Amino acid sequence: MSVIRVPAPLRATVGGRTTVPIEASDLRSLPAAIGATYPDLAARVVQDGAFGRFVSVFVDGEDARFLPPETSLVETKVVELLPAVSGG
Amino acid sequence: MTTKIFAAEQSIERRRSPLTGFKCRACGVLQPADDRYVCAECFGPIEPAYDLASLDATALRFEIENGPRSLWRYAPLLPVAEPKSHYPVGWTPLLTAPRLGALLGVDRLYLKDDTHNPTLSFKDRPVAVALARALELGLDTIACASTGNLAGAVAAAAARNGLRAFVFVPENTEPGKIASAAAYGAHVVRVRGTYDQVNRLCGRLADEHGWGFVNFTLRPYYAEGSKTLLFECAEQLGWTLPHHVVVPVGSGALLTRTATAVSQLREVGLVNGEHCHIHAAQPAGCAPVSDAALDGWRDVRPVRTPDTIAKSLAIGSPSDGDRSVEVVRDSRGSAGSVSDAEIVAAVHDLATTEGVFVEPAGGVVVATARALAERGVFHTGETVVLYLTGNGYKQEPGAFDLRAVIAPDAEEFASTYAEVLR
Repeated sequence: MSVIRVPAPLRATVGGRTTVPIEASDLRSLPAAIGATYPDLAARVVQDGAFGRFVSVFVDGEDARFLPPETSLVETKVVELLPAVSGG
Repeated sequence: MTTKIFAAEQSIERRRSPLTGFKCRACGVLQPADDRYVCAECFGPIEPAYDLASLDATALRFEIENGPRSLWRYAPLLPVAEPKSHYPVGWTPLLTAPRLGALLGVDRLYLKDDTHNPTLSFKDRPVAVALARALELGLDTIACASTGNLAGAVAAAAARNGLRAFVFVPENTEPGKIASAAAYGAHVVRVRGTYDQVNRLCGRLADEHGWGFVNFTLRPYYAEGSKTLLFECAEQLGWTLPHHVVVPVGSGALLTRTATAVSQLREVGLVNGEHCHIHAAQPAGCAPVSDAALDGWRDVRPVRTPDTIAKSLAIGSPSDGDRSVEVVRDSRGSAGSVSDAEIVAAVHDLATTEGVFVEPAGGVVVATARALAERGVFHTGETVVLYLTGNGYKQEPGAFDLRAVIAPDAEEFASTYAEVLR
């Protein structure tokens, strides 16, 4: 089982919690798993079965876009959701 | 003399902003302009919305032209009122560049020389607007993730206003930029990793500390400061839009807000219907936006490990990347992706023909202009403006008190900086 770290603007969708557990076998199935377990959260970060363009997803600190879809989430990992914001 | 100038600026009546709220770029919902920094409905990016219809063009032009010689002359088009004390940020020179123009084959070439800002880069502009909001909110600490220039701008603004500053930079940031931020007394946090990894760390820290992260929690205000380059160019050209503007692209905020500025000037009637082509300039070692534009306007693909001497543009995952591609396409602009060798040559050409010494990002812009000219993008009689956003002078760090480099890890940050976080 992995853990999702939820950013402050989205915590109201998961009862105010900072982290929530998630059962997903791999990265590919993560959006659907979020949809099944936390529909209010999914409504804001998942579009058409995939993460939306305005959310950045990290798995143990790695940008999910650089990881293969079969990346396992069975062992405990930290999935971080952050707004796609930058500008240095 | 300086004291008198500041006294005069402070005596100017503070003007109200026509801000009506924040509008989400994704779902379009208008929402209150409170302390939110993403859309409460869909997590999308939010941007200020204005009641521009209430502005009279003649009165607005008079007000601007009689305003302070800083970006605050455009306060009626910004989301926050002019603060009582501030740097004279902005109102930088728009230089004619006949010698460089002859070299590039451009007959009406202008340089928007934003190296004249207080910390020698255009980042003083977005920071000025973000800082004004931080002061309104009564924050005591401001912070940022930075490729270097922003760090100095945040550090200086914090010092001038008695605030604490944390600036987070990749460990390979140019020494001169680290030096300037350290000189202003900021806590310069050097992080092992790329800018995008620094950015992730800051996204996490923005949640955990009540600081004003200028490019996170204050971003709706921060990004608006970038509009003022185009406002100034139009005013300095006699309230006429340039036919072409070549913009360096890191996150894409400057490019997208250039388009916003064009749109707003048209909406309030300060310029006529001239078309303004907006061109993106990126180094080949980190060109997610230019590559997408030049490859058939496809979606942006992030660059995992940027590799370029133009470190201030080394943002592999630009938050305004897809929107930048749309802006370039919709303005019938183009893009350049230039090599390090071309960047170095362009910095040299600019310095030796016009006496303007820029950081590599400026070389990216000049080299892109050269490429666009060779492609026949510019036509005889058209005005071409190059944004020069950073000075080349930042020096070695010397003996400033820098702490150990940390991993992009919140716990390590907390332990390394435990004593200053108390």
